[in-house]
Amino acid sequence: MKEGLKMKYALYPGCVMPTEQYAYEMSIREVMPKLDVELVDLKGFSCCGEPIKSVNQMLTLTLSARNLAIAEKEGLDIFAPCPMCHLALSECKRILDTDTAMNERVNKFLEDEGLKYSGVSDIVSTIDLIHDKIGIEKIKKLVKKPLKDLKVATHNGCHMIRPSEIGRPDDSENPQKMDNILEAIGAKALDYPEKLDCCGGLLTANLPESALTKTGQKLKGVQDQGFDAFIDTCPWCHRQYDSKQTKAGETVAAKLDVPVLYLTQILGLSFGISKDKLGLDLNLSPVEKLAIVGGK
Amino acid sequence: MSNKIGVFVCHCGINIASTVNIKDLVDYAKKLDGVVVSKDYKYMCSDVGANLIKDSIKKNKLDGVVIACCSPRMHEHTFRGVVEAGGINAFNLEIANIREQCSWAHEDKNRATEKAIALVRGAVAKAKLLEPLETSKIKVTPAALVIGGGIAGIQSALDLAEEGHKVYLVERSPTIGGRMAQLDKTFPTLDCSGCILTPKMMEVANHPNIELLTYSEVTGVEGSIGNFTIKVNKKARYVDLDKCTGCGDCTEACRLKARITSEFDEGLGKRSAVYIPFPQAVPLKFTIDTNTCLMLTRGKCGTGPLCVEVCEAGAIDFKQKDEEVELKVGAIVVATGYDVLDPSAMYEYGYARSDDVITTLGMERLINSSGPTNGEILKPSNGEKPKSITYILCVGSRDESECNWCCRIGCMSALKHVYLLKEKLGDDIEINVCYTDIRSFGKGYEEFYRKIRGMKTNFFRGRPSEVRDAGDHMSIDIFDTTTNKLFEIKTDLVVLVPALVPRADSNEFARILRISQSADGFLLEAHPKLRPMDTFTGGIFITGCCQGPKDIQDSVAQASGAAARAANILSKKELESEPLISCVDEDLCSGCSTCIAICPYNAIELDTEKDGKSHAKINEALCMGCGACVVSCPSGAMQQRGFKDKQIKPMIEETIKK
Repeated sequence: MKEGLKMKYALYPGCVMPTEQYAYEMSIREVMPKLDVELVDLKGFSCCGEPIKSVNQMLTLTLSARNLAIAEKEGLDIFAPCPMCHLALSECKRILDTDTAMNERVNKFLEDEGLKYSGVSDIVSTIDLIHDKIGIEKIKKLVKKPLKDLKVATHNGCHMIRPSEIGRPDDSENPQKMDNILEAIGAKALDYPEKLDCCGGLLTANLPESALTKTGQKLKGVQDQGFDAFIDTCPWCHRQYDSKQTKAGETVAAKLDVPVLYLTQILGLSFGISKDKLGLDLNLSPVEKLAIVGGK
Repeated sequence: MSNKIGVFVCHCGINIASTVNIKDLVDYAKKLDGVVVSKDYKYMCSDVGANLIKDSIKKNKLDGVVIACCSPRMHEHTFRGVVEAGGINAFNLEIANIREQCSWAHEDKNRATEKAIALVRGAVAKAKLLEPLETSKIKVTPAALVIGGGIAGIQSALDLAEEGHKVYLVERSPTIGGRMAQLDKTFPTLDCSGCILTPKMMEVANHPNIELLTYSEVTGVEGSIGNFTIKVNKKARYVDLDKCTGCGDCTEACRLKARITSEFDEGLGKRSAVYIPFPQAVPLKFTIDTNTCLMLTRGKCGTGPLCVEVCEAGAIDFKQKDEEVELKVGAIVVATGYDVLDPSAMYEYGYARSDDVITTLGMERLINSSGPTNGEILKPSNGEKPKSITYILCVGSRDESECNWCCRIGCMSALKHVYLLKEKLGDDIEINVCYTDIRSFGKGYEEFYRKIRGMKTNFFRGRPSEVRDAGDHMSIDIFDTTTNKLFEIKTDLVVLVPALVPRADSNEFARILRISQSADGFLLEAHPKLRPMDTFTGGIFITGCCQGPKDIQDSVAQASGAAARAANILSKKELESEPLISCVDEDLCSGCSTCIAICPYNAIELDTEKDGKSHAKINEALCMGCGACVVSCPSGAMQQRGFKDKQIKPMIEETIKK
């Protein structure tokens, strides 16, 4: 990426971010321009389809393809900050690019709206956009307030790294990209045994108690090992770890007290962006414990 | 020119007859110009079929034969003999492959018959133009090369030597013995591996017919069946083999004593820079490690190398250089063995993260009384005795993301360890075995498995998702598919049973030998059922794990087989040469030398006449008939016998004629 040259992406917001996890969107809209990424809002995006995949796969594919086709029409690549959306779109791209018959069927549905999926648009997530497209060097240059050895635990979540055979932003067994990004802003990203554990979020609908237990077990591990903060990029996971932290603690008989931040929030803080602009007052976990947030 | 052609169509049972209308084909062939007889039979390769051909040749005074049957790979050789017995030259035979290239590939009977007719029409056109060819004799060099000094190579070398043939055994490490030397006991009989291996190693060392070249590598192979010229690089050992007595004073004195990681102990033990891999090494001669010795890496070692000081025999020689030797042999047996998959790549199993995750071969070294812990089972991280040991089978094996194949020894080696560990640590030691399927297929294996199942051992059927370091213990999550339950195993020591993979340099090695590899990278046999030790290159045979994973029993059996195959060649004084080789039209050849550069067998040289005109000349003993020169020749002067342009072109024209 040459200096001064801007990257341009259609921002695909998904459903959780614009309806509930506002802080993620706020921090993305603050941080990306600093990294010379122009975000374009397109009209007409619909649900990615992932939540109904088990019920109607054809509809899921068509919804995903429709979103991709909308970006294609504008000649833009897609930035999907929600890993679940990113997975749905990537899986759709893979199926339609390799299965001619399915491609034809789906495109038939899209015809009604005058849309066509041809597979030219690229799909990025928060992690590969920052790590692979923007690059660590650029991050390093923008740091105004280095994190001074803040001990952080990273959480990728399942959709960001699995299933590996369709090609995900990071390695399924040993993801390191988020850790590398955090190291670049001065934090200490350390491995911990529970690093790949599930947040439990997807169990919420039918086994709410088990869902919270999974959340609690992981956060308790993080707290017991003395981490200063817990960083994620998935709005579903974030809801578990940030919004439901107190309840999750009850399931594992622990008083949890772990600051949980979006990767884009902590990046913004290190770039010197004010905490209001990054939506930090919307975090329900004790983020004010961190010196960089509390402004002490 | 042949004018009286006979066409013989084989039904191959129903293999051909069910898809090709034999009667139509025979009737059609009868009407072809030059065909005087056309017949069919159910099995042309049977005695009756062969006699039918022989009698027809004699009765009709045939001078050319077309057989429409299976691929020439299967029966061309048989039918050449039949034709010759009928009284005409064996090379006046053309095979129309109407099985592999027609009946097996198609379903529509009408169109398959049409295609078979076209193939036979082409074959008849070519048969009319075939020329009689004579085979010549090649002298055989009465010696064999065995590459690799593991149990397979040792067995092959001994068998060949016992039959009276001269054998060169080349081994690239400082000692022979291979993987088997690393093992403690062997399954299922629990024989001491060293006790049954070392006598064979000694026999190799003392056999008058075997010349042992250790710490040596084959770097070049030229020539062909009966006459190979081998280049071997004898690496500098920096120890004079004639003077070294194997006393071991040097290794005790070495400044780097117990500081170099031992490959033989799978990284669990230490050695000096001057070393023997294990006490029973053959030859019992020390070797100086080029990569670590202070003299060899920095040019100085304290006030002077201590090994030189203590060696009473004066065997240390830092001036030694690599030496290239040339060997002449008639046959080659390849027994280069396998590598073990490095489990670090599979991050989830923790091999890269924890010292207390080891491999099966590492455990063999821990169990072995001459190993790094003198046979005590201790955790590498802190030297404590483990209370619980967990085996994870199929690490990388039967796994689409790593190796698709089964390692064939993992299950049995893990079961063997269970027995040995219970014996060493007592019945109370907790042992968990996480398996995919237990494959106990060999003689006595299933019985051994039953015995282990009766011992206090936990078997989980499933693949663990992750091995976690939980501080004072390791934690493994495993979903057991026999009980449909998720278990958490807390254990002290994890033993991975990794996949067996081809040697890291097997691609390069296969290229040097000009032999093929299968898709998995192992060396490829000429036929999986009927020629399991042969390669597609005449005179080169493969045995042991270089061909594919196998246990000691199978390796030894195959090694004797490969030796017998090699002896087939060596026991003859002369071989018949392949007559289907290249020839030069000297009038057309301009001497441009394109063919010389392209020939992979160095079989072509430039011959200069008195008048100064030069042309290519084929060395008939070296030419393998690959045809590369024919294709490359810009003037068409190079022709391959039996496949000359003037024979092939009319064949093509006839075949594609409407």
